[in-house]
Amino acid sequence: MPDFEIKTQTLNGGVALVDVKGYLDAHTFEQLDKALGDLFKSKVFRIVVKLDELDYISSAGAGVFIGVFGRAQENQGDIVILKPSPNVREVFDLLGLSQIFKIVEDLPSALKALQTA
Amino acid sequence: MEPSLLVRSLSIPNETRELRSVRAFAAEAVHRGGVPKAYENGILLAIDEAVANIITHAYQEGRKDVIEIVIEVDARRFSVIIRDSGTCFDPKTVSTPDLSAHVADGKRNGLGVFLMRRVMDEVEYLFKEGVRNELRMVKYLGT
Repeated sequence: MPDFEIKTQTLNGGVALVDVKGYLDAHTFEQLDKALGDLFKSKVFRIVVKLDELDYISSAGAGVFIGVFGRAQENQGDIVILKPSPNVREVFDLLGLSQIFKIVEDLPSALKALQTA
Repeated sequence: MEPSLLVRSLSIPNETRELRSVRAFAAEAVHRGGVPKAYENGILLAIDEAVANIITHAYQEGRKDVIEIVIEVDARRFSVIIRDSGTCFDPKTVSTPDLSAHVADGKRNGLGVFLMRRVMDEVEYLFKEGVRNELRMVKYLGT
């Protein structure tokens, strides 16, 4: 398992799949912030973020999603969270973010959720 | 007979790259102390948030310090004391965030103390003038 890794893949229909692995904390969050910012610069605003191999997230990591959510929606996009690991889901629940973000368990559901964005 | 008490301590430089070591240190205490698995992520989170807050907010650019973390675990509770010499900061002055407003404004900060309070049963700050700042957090293991 890497300490921290981001892989970005472009899917059909102008959707990006961002796979985040390892730990997302006050040391690594800027890398994810930059990766999502680069997608915005490329006019990609419909983003699926896969978190099943993200072992840990702190408020700094959650803050990245909070920071980009509004900008995606302002541009007719959305951020959908795919398969968060139990630790990540716990932090989303603690922060109340599970009520704000669309959280799905498979890619077809994520793509469907983006169609309704 | 005295209940068994596990005591562990760690000193780290005030750098965010040390957060991973802090969590590994806390995880070792959780495992060795027999803390129920259900509490592990929350306890690691609270300690990480506390140390990250100190590293990112308590120092002027470039100032070096050593942060000391002491964990004590017994059958009843997991307690942690975090000491630093940065600018004093009282978590009690941080109000509970309005998450909807945070998201609407894209505001990223101010959630760490909220999480510490959500997860731990006690969060207490002690400022010892001219000595060290001290943050003490307790999780009661029966709750």
